[in-house]
Amino acid sequence: MSKTEPCFLTAAEAAAAMKAGTLTSETLIRSCLERIEARDPVVKAWLHVEPDLAIRQAREVDKRPVKGPLHGLPFGVKDIMDTFDMPTSYNSPSWQGHRPTRDAACVSIVRQAGAVILGKTDTVEFAFNSRKAASTNPYNSGHTPGGSSSGSGAAVGDFQVQFAFGTQTAGSHIRPASFNGIYGIKPSWGTVSREGVHMISAILDTIGWYGRSVDDLILGAQAFRLDGVEALAVPEAKGLRIGYYETPFWDQAEPGAKAAMAASVDRLRKAGAIVEEITVPAHFADLADAHMTVMWGDGRVALYDEYLHHGETIHPELRLTVEDKRGVTPKRLVEAYDFADTCRREFDAIASGYDAILAPAATGEAPKGLHTVGNWIFNGLWTLLHAPCVAIPALFGEGGLPVGIQLVGPRLSDARLLAVAKALQSIIDVNADERFRILSAA
Amino acid sequence: MEPCFLTAAEAASRIRDGKLTSETLVRSCIERIEARDPQVKAWLYLDKAKAIATARELDKYPSKGVLHGVPFGVKDMIDTADMPTTYNSPVFQGYRPARDAACVGVARHSGAVILGKTDTVEFASAGRRAATRNPKNLAHTPGGSSSGSGAAVGDRQVQLAFGTQTGGSHIRPASFNGIYGLKPTWSSVSREGAKQYSNMLDTIGWYGRSVGDLALVAQAFRLHGVGEISAPDLSTLKVAVCRTPFWSKIEPAGEKALETACERLRKAGVTLVDLTLPEPFDGMAEAQTTIMMGEGKASFLDASLEFGERLHKDFHDRAHNTLGITAEQIIAAYNLAADCRKSFEALYADFDVVLTPAACGEAPEGSYNTGDHIFNGMWTLLHVPCLGIPCTTGAKGLPVGIQIVAPRLEDARLLAMATVLAPVIDLETPAWDPAA
Repeated sequence: MSKTEPCFLTAAEAAAAMKAGTLTSETLIRSCLERIEARDPVVKAWLHVEPDLAIRQAREVDKRPVKGPLHGLPFGVKDIMDTFDMPTSYNSPSWQGHRPTRDAACVSIVRQAGAVILGKTDTVEFAFNSRKAASTNPYNSGHTPGGSSSGSGAAVGDFQVQFAFGTQTAGSHIRPASFNGIYGIKPSWGTVSREGVHMISAILDTIGWYGRSVDDLILGAQAFRLDGVEALAVPEAKGLRIGYYETPFWDQAEPGAKAAMAASVDRLRKAGAIVEEITVPAHFADLADAHMTVMWGDGRVALYDEYLHHGETIHPELRLTVEDKRGVTPKRLVEAYDFADTCRREFDAIASGYDAILAPAATGEAPKGLHTVGNWIFNGLWTLLHAPCVAIPALFGEGGLPVGIQLVGPRLSDARLLAVAKALQSIIDVNADERFRILSAA
Repeated sequence: MEPCFLTAAEAASRIRDGKLTSETLVRSCIERIEARDPQVKAWLYLDKAKAIATARELDKYPSKGVLHGVPFGVKDMIDTADMPTTYNSPVFQGYRPARDAACVGVARHSGAVILGKTDTVEFASAGRRAATRNPKNLAHTPGGSSSGSGAAVGDRQVQLAFGTQTGGSHIRPASFNGIYGLKPTWSSVSREGAKQYSNMLDTIGWYGRSVGDLALVAQAFRLHGVGEISAPDLSTLKVAVCRTPFWSKIEPAGEKALETACERLRKAGVTLVDLTLPEPFDGMAEAQTTIMMGEGKASFLDASLEFGERLHKDFHDRAHNTLGITAEQIIAAYNLAADCRKSFEALYADFDVVLTPAACGEAPEGSYNTGDHIFNGMWTLLHVPCLGIPCTTGAKGLPVGIQIVAPRLEDARLLAMATVLAPVIDLETPAWDPAA
């Protein structure tokens, strides 16, 4: 396959080409900008792109010695994250034209690591079930790219940018990875600063990033200095012990998710990995409720300032939360916090017995229509458990849209999980060429 | 009496009744600040004209909320849209955030007049200290990191101020400055727009000069059940006296405060029981440090990369984990905290509220050492609401308080109990002498 246009390279490939002197950041950025120009009228991933600014940044990076692992690579920023040189609207009608004066910590860190910030990607308002992004699924514009990290997922999937930030409070990061045929990591809770990112829940909100290979995710992890990521020991796939976990919510799995899980098991076994079903305590079935209790309970606090500021004009869904109409009582909230603590420890112990846990990343293919961003049922538990999750594309469903799976590890095992994901990437993800073929013709 | 000496609750009620204007109140506070700031140095930024204009504007309105017309100081690691925010860091001098932190927004929308920004330990964490002095004795610290907020409220320069607590930065300065402070349940007040140190610990609180002051702000933040729980009958209350596993660190003044509080409560007919925490609590101080320093890695990485040598070594140490804290240690600390939260709250079956030291003793001499957080860190990690109450003075004549503690999200009950406990405990706060 010829990837003549640099926008089709993975981040790791582009980084290698720049290191070898066969590619400049400016050439890469111009290629991404061209791709955006061609595709944005349909995919609508971006709320703000400033081509001149991006090219200036790229040209500047090209003059500098290599400062970090993301040298010259383009990065899309979900528009709930502050940027000092671009507007930040949270996709809220109340915040159009808002200009923060400082980068969110995560944006500053990737800039320091050499990344070129290409623009701001569309998102569900405040990344919290309210007004949706305009973004469409690159494989079928009648379908959602998922959300809340809608634009970030769509832009990386559509070869418009190598990297983008997403966030996850319920399933906003890993589910769009699945819907857009891309890779994503939701690192362990607490390992990436959330400063300068619009907040919903201190105990849930997690920043992650998308890429088009595990190596891309590793580059990002290096920028964030995740423990152990500098010296990854990638194991042989043969003999790896993978825990198979449908979760208590398997009855909500659609044919796409079922096929992706079955195909992954099959491929892993053929490659010599040992796949066995894990046993978890029965009360894990209550994790979905506990997750929602925490999310609504914390959301009531987080959105109060917005509510006072913008009054009854805020989205009806946000009003339900902030006006305390989700049925969350202080007693239920404390119970949910404590239950999560119990399950975190139990899951850590279970997951420590495996090299990774294999779990569904979404209920199936991306649903039709832009009024929905899909169901977070296969994600909320992991967000609440604080466990690192890596999404890997697995196949195309019956509707022609991609479906992935996720690998999950115990808390703070991000480096090990990335090493295992790297070993398994080519085994699980057999459709990379197909994705390129489809979208390069789009 | 000059209005600056009123409590927030008194001032709010007078404004509501048309007996006091916000402008008169704010002008009085500004006068007090002008007279005292050269010594106490509580403020990093004060926009007098703006504060007066805001007060005058509020005087034209019907009430905007429970804090209508009352001045509020903001710790300078909390963003303000109309004032600089420096985090007391040399690398952030002149920084102007584009929007208010969520807590500032809530205070403003409830009618508060933001008077200015108070000095703080750098990033409320480490590095350089506030220039602020203890108003009762300038040779001593007001505590920290909420140094300026504690000193300004204590010195009657402002009725209310925000502090934050990651270790003991809120309740300890309350004790050192002879004031009231509430550290609400973790996550019950949004931290958005306040400098992050530790995800699992950072908590925003406020200072006032009475339980009523704290309740007023609690109402503004809609803490669960505030205003719905009536004050209990003192004689029905059972208070558990908890010396904590760290009692060996107590100083004579801290011990005096706890014993004095017990004595006064006993005389008032309150039932006291001794609470010895189970053995796992012995590890809570260390767990708090492990989590704070461990999570500090993520919190200071951006500044460490961006500012290089211009940034204080303390923050590079955190960003680069020079303590070598391991993932296993952090997870063990998270798990211990989770166990202790549950077992601590189960103990409440036998009593109503916990009484425990707020600090080791009086404020230390000098300005570098802002005091030890050993009697605070465990409570921060337990996520429980803590309410600081002034009690007595130590050998050096400096104030020493105690704190009372309730289970998570029972802030409203804690405030209700404080309304009957505080009048018994806080007997020595002097009728303020404006000549001081």
